[in-house]
Amino acid sequence: MSNSVISVISRFLEEYTTKTSNKLKVVDAYLFYILLTGALQFLYCLLVGTFPFNSFLAGFILCVGAFILGVCLRIQINPDNKGDFLSISQERAFADFLLAHTVLHLVVINFIG
Amino acid sequence: AWTPGWSVFCLVLLTVALGAQALTPSHHLSLSDVDRLKGLLSQPFTDLASAYYSIVGLSKLGASVADENDACQFLKAQLDPMSVDSLFFAAEASQAIADCEVSIFNETRDILLAAVSEDSTVTQIFRAVSALSSLGLPLASQEVVAALVARIAKEDNVLAITTALQTATRLSQQAELGGILEEIEDLAARLDDLGGVYLQFEEGLEATALFVTAAYTLSDHADTEPPLKEDQVIQLVNSVFSKKSWDSRSEAFSVACAAAALSSNRFHVPVIVSTQGPATVSHSQPILHLLVTDILSNPLASANLLVESAQAVASKSVVLSQAPFSLRNGIFELNFMASQPASGYYQFTVAVTGDSRLVANQVELKVKVSTEVAVTNMDLSVVDKDQSIGTKTSRVDYPFKAKGSFTADSHQNFAMNFQLVDANTGVELTPHQTFVRFHNQKTGQEVVFVAEPDSKNLYKFELDTAERKSEFDSMSGTYVLHLIVGDATLENPILWNVADVVLKFLDEEAPAAIQSKTLYMPKPDIQHLFREPEKKPPTVVSNTFTALVLSPFLLLLILWFKLGANISNFSLSPSSVLFHVGHACMLGLMYVYWTHLNMFQTLKYLAIIGSLTFLAGNRMLAQKAVKRYGQSSTLTFFTRSTCEN
Repeated sequence: MSNSVISVISRFLEEYTTKTSNKLKVVDAYLFYILLTGALQFLYCLLVGTFPFNSFLAGFILCVGAFILGVCLRIQINPDNKGDFLSISQERAFADFLLAHTVLHLVVINFIG
Repeated sequence: AWTPGWSVFCLVLLTVALGAQALTPSHHLSLSDVDRLKGLLSQPFTDLASAYYSIVGLSKLGASVADENDACQFLKAQLDPMSVDSLFFAAEASQAIADCEVSIFNETRDILLAAVSEDSTVTQIFRAVSALSSLGLPLASQEVVAALVARIAKEDNVLAITTALQTATRLSQQAELGGILEEIEDLAARLDDLGGVYLQFEEGLEATALFVTAAYTLSDHADTEPPLKEDQVIQLVNSVFSKKSWDSRSEAFSVACAAAALSSNRFHVPVIVSTQGPATVSHSQPILHLLVTDILSNPLASANLLVESAQAVASKSVVLSQAPFSLRNGIFELNFMASQPASGYYQFTVAVTGDSRLVANQVELKVKVSTEVAVTNMDLSVVDKDQSIGTKTSRVDYPFKAKGSFTADSHQNFAMNFQLVDANTGVELTPHQTFVRFHNQKTGQEVVFVAEPDSKNLYKFELDTAERKSEFDSMSGTYVLHLIVGDATLENPILWNVADVVLKFLDEEAPAAIQSKTLYMPKPDIQHLFREPEKKPPTVVSNTFTALVLSPFLLLLILWFKLGANISNFSLSPSSVLFHVGHACMLGLMYVYWTHLNMFQTLKYLAIIGSLTFLAGNRMLAQKAVKRYGQSSTLTFFTRSTCEN
């Protein structure tokens, strides 16, 4: 059992490092960073307490939202998915990413208090 | 069984009962009102019109001016033989004074007759006709009637028609007065009904009073009953006599004429039944006195007063039926106590008979029978709650005080039993107020309880010391006991100091101080507790976690460096520079928003910066896209070319 898990993981890692383009790896690194930040915020909330609750929510939702937008960007710029996104060029995907982020930031800053 | 016949009978009974509630006058002229009216009319007069109102008005009330001779001289001096009005006032006034004759000239008759025509106003015709009749000059009644009928058609207001009616009273009885008589009914229809109590013209009191005078004078003259119903007559009486001080001489004159007309016409005479003082009888004053007068408060010559029924208000039993009053010195008397009524209120229905002209001759009166109360069988006792020790009862007689004091502590009840009886008849009474009052002389406390009668009309009062301690504030001590008995029908209310009662409450329940004393002193200040700010974690923890949360950024930079991400492709085109600057500004704006701004300001700045950034970004990305397509197209070309090979 554990053997197959280890073999799956090692295979996945191998495929990942070879098959994915650099651009996508850059985005993946960004996503990982966002994930860590969100997890650390959640850890703080668990350990120390929810005061001030609105600030915690604002920060956490920013992380979640940024992660989602990052994932969307990654999907849209992945050349393997070109068939699904014929009308959306890479630049358009990036522009959408930026616009959505502006709105997200506005809302989060409003809520952070 | 609810048969149809029974319901019809009930309906008939109801109608009869309602019909029996006839309207009676609520206003009339009392003797002082009549004096006031005479006083107003007796004021000195300065011209013929006021002389007329005074002299004629006073004569209607059965009085006369102070100096008749002077008045007569005044009339003769002021007379202007060329004026119809002047002739009218002088002629009418001189008629009211004995031995006063106004001299007339040959032209007088012509002047007056000339005024009687279709072209003069009704008032002119009236004055001319009255002057002619008072001066004893002949006039053609039929011509007057014709002129009046023509004028009524043209002047269709209340005052004009009333004046026409008055004119008709001066004409010969052989003349055709039928048409004018009908005007009474038409005019009566124009009266305004106020709440079913008053009936008056909107033109005011004077018009209503003049109408009443004219209607009754003309009806007497033509020997025809006026078409006014009983209720209408009473309502007119209410309207005319509700005002007790009059604005002008002419108003007083109109009221005097109306009063005279209503007290001595041949058809309707409203009767007033009133009591002399409050309508109360008792053993000391057993006789009920009633006055029967007309609206001028003159006693009616031929009238008999009869009690149709006297019904007790409380028990609805009829005590007296069809009993006549006896007349003594102009006052009607009835010895009501002879029927031995119990104390209380009685509804009397009295009827005035003897004259067919009487209107509102059935009157409802409320008579009070009062009595004296006596307290008997007053027993005071202290009863043990568990009834192990026998009760100690002592009898106290009114008005003495009990010899010893009574002690009751929390295991005992203090009880009081007594009876209230009518001092004259011995019948048990239940007055409205039967209070038992405890008064603490030292502290000034006063506690009042109500003593209630049981089914046998025996009054019982029991004080449970333990139960009632809150009313006494648990203050032990000597309380003076009073019995208070009062009622509207009692002539001798009772305040009787019965005994002293020592009440003992359990001391540990006694409050520290008397509450009432501190009731009006300032209360202790209430300090407002502001909402405590929530506990914050120590700064060390916060700082640690801040560093921890920012650390992944370093990790990101390291990862990007390892992946080989670089900015070598950065083109220094103006749009790309502008885009990056704008974007940086937007992020900076977010920080400023967090620290200083509000949403509206932020949106404003964001709109400006954002649109610039968007335009620049759009340009930059387009350039990038072009570059990328250029590259990929060459690549495709290269791939195709290789594939072809």
